[in-house]
Amino acid sequence: MSALGRRIVARPGIVLLALALAAAGVLTATGTRLAASQEPVLVAMRTEGEVPWRDPWDPFWNRVPAVDVALSAQQSVPPMGGKRLTISARAVNDGENLYLEVEWPDPTADRSVGATEDFTDAVAVQFPASGATRVPAFCMGDPTASVNIWQWRAAWQADVARGFRGHVADLHPNGYVDLYPFEGDETFLTGRAAGNPFSVERRSSAVDNLVATGNGTLTADPTPLVQGWGAWRDGVWRVVFTRSFTVGREGNVSFAPDDYKDVAFAVWDGGAEERDGMKSVASFMALDVSPELLAGGAGRALWPFAFLGIGVVWAAFAWMVLDGFRRREA
Amino acid sequence: MPEVYNWQLGRAMTYRFPEAHPEWQFAFVFNINRCLACQTCTMACKATWTFSEGQEHMWWNNVETKPYGGYPRGWDSRLLATLEAANPGGQTWDVSRTGPRTPYGRYRGQTIFEAARTLGGTDEAIGYLPSEDEWAAPNVWEDTATGAKGRPGVYGRGTELPVHTPWFFYLQRLCNHCTYPACVAACPRNAIYKRKEDGIVLIDQSRCRGYRKCVQQCPYKKPMYRATTRVSEKCVGCYPRIEGSDPLTEGLPTETRCMAVCPGKIRMQGLVKIAEDGSWEEDPEHPIYYLVKVAKVALPLYPQFGTEPNGYYIPPRWVPREYLVQMFGPGVDEAIETYTAPPRELLAVLALFRATRTILFKFRVEKGPKVRDAVIDGRRWAMYDDTVIGYDRQGREVVRLPVVEPFYERPRKYLNSI
Repeated sequence: MSALGRRIVARPGIVLLALALAAAGVLTATGTRLAASQEPVLVAMRTEGEVPWRDPWDPFWNRVPAVDVALSAQQSVPPMGGKRLTISARAVNDGENLYLEVEWPDPTADRSVGATEDFTDAVAVQFPASGATRVPAFCMGDPTASVNIWQWRAAWQADVARGFRGHVADLHPNGYVDLYPFEGDETFLTGRAAGNPFSVERRSSAVDNLVATGNGTLTADPTPLVQGWGAWRDGVWRVVFTRSFTVGREGNVSFAPDDYKDVAFAVWDGGAEERDGMKSVASFMALDVSPELLAGGAGRALWPFAFLGIGVVWAAFAWMVLDGFRRREA
Repeated sequence: MPEVYNWQLGRAMTYRFPEAHPEWQFAFVFNINRCLACQTCTMACKATWTFSEGQEHMWWNNVETKPYGGYPRGWDSRLLATLEAANPGGQTWDVSRTGPRTPYGRYRGQTIFEAARTLGGTDEAIGYLPSEDEWAAPNVWEDTATGAKGRPGVYGRGTELPVHTPWFFYLQRLCNHCTYPACVAACPRNAIYKRKEDGIVLIDQSRCRGYRKCVQQCPYKKPMYRATTRVSEKCVGCYPRIEGSDPLTEGLPTETRCMAVCPGKIRMQGLVKIAEDGSWEEDPEHPIYYLVKVAKVALPLYPQFGTEPNGYYIPPRWVPREYLVQMFGPGVDEAIETYTAPPRELLAVLALFRATRTILFKFRVEKGPKVRDAVIDGRRWAMYDDTVIGYDRQGREVVRLPVVEPFYERPRKYLNSI
């Protein structure tokens, strides 16, 4: 055994220190964050085929590993509301676009905002906006770190699928009106005339793309950059969001392969009159845009690297010990 | 939570925002005794602002028959019941001391803001979202009178004052452009604001996201949701007329559509000057100031809600006082007593109602001869044929008329002509 080998065997503390340093080196090299990896990481594996984003119940989505996310009632800013709710999140990417599916239980599908007491089911994902140098306050961001929110609304999807659903003929099929003065003049559709994105008649996306810098600052980007589609089946909503990695607009989140992003979720139950801050929310968790191809076990994409690294360290240690024995015997 | 002073309650109360008052305040006085529910006001508003698709259920101005009528149905009784549930038996007034800052005494109960805290939850004010059905019949129970107590269909002797046995009255309602609006407090997006120049409360149509928190928490239920734009709208106080920017108004502040069309002459609208502390600047020659602060014949609608509404009502003389006190606060007895035997000045100001569509900022009375002596409720009363003159914002005379209406007798040869 070499002099170095004898000193190592005689000082187990040095061995442990060396092992820890080696493990840290491997974790750093693979980009694995121990603290984050204590929590579930939503990994968006790469897929080469076409992603069926308009069909959230396509068998494809069952092949994508799901991560459970625990939501709770929003209780930091009035109006508060929501409830404890566990949702499932799945994500994939095709090298150019991110696809994010959210699944949650809801006994009723609420798709109308027609009457005063009608509120729509909705789900939102939130990212720190591009350029954010730190993680924003998860509740709507803050003045120094804004957030980019994609909100899918069942009512908006009904508009996209079947045309604007707010007409009297839609809400009261047996109603009769002889005439509306100045019909078609948007001056008298004040929300629309004022450019309110809620009042749009021809909607091309069920998802609103929003930016916020704190409570009460939510602002919609009228360009439909984010697409999405949802389907309700037997008491369960599944909604897929999709957007290209980069959109080149300020405030919008950007993605790249091998990228870690923070992502937060919120769900509204229209049947319980939930809207605005009355929602079930989860704080930020990690989203890993992985360059690895989707296959079995995609949800743990980083662990093979971590295990490999630790294995290499152990192998080196074992080699050193065995080498020491061999030399001593010699 | 900031404390603000509500002079109608004679005390401070909690409100979401600290005090910040407009320079002028949109205000109006309705003489319930004169209204015959012709709904001309309602239709004028409808034809001006809410004739489009999605606004079918909207009546920013409405006239309902009390006690049963209501638009939306049961809006007030339902809120009163919630207030009572929050603070059983507590909605009372201490009237032992009154003064300039406590004209109606001191309210001992809870406001809609305070009751929301008592009942828990995170809304700024108690309230509810009326169902579509409740908006659907704006004039239900029209002209329906109460019966004799415990004997439905038996109406007793109705023509005796001070209280009729079968009774009903018309309540004319629009947005009160409150000093402490519940809609402004309720909006999580701060998309509702009160204008500095006239105190008119507006919903920013570009920022509203249709959460309907204002619909839920306005005690008077005057913000309404519109399905064709997915956002809420409310009475805009005909602000182009108030500003004088409507071409018709020739630059002068002009009464709203609902005020200007009133054939029954029950309405007077004005702008009152607001001091920095939120009180009305003393101006006994201002017709609205005179009616509310000097003669004290006009009272706020449900002052106990705590929003300091800027609509004032001369209460109907024939209705049970208990009901009126619940609706207009403890000033009812004095208001009815004054109105029944009106002082010389009050009679002159009452003549100004609907004399012009130009908003009056000042009145003056030129004294005339006594024309009548009478005894009313045991008190000696005299009537004079004074002349009342109204002035616009620039101080120009815009109306002059006698208190005693001119009487013309048709010559015999025209008896049957039109």
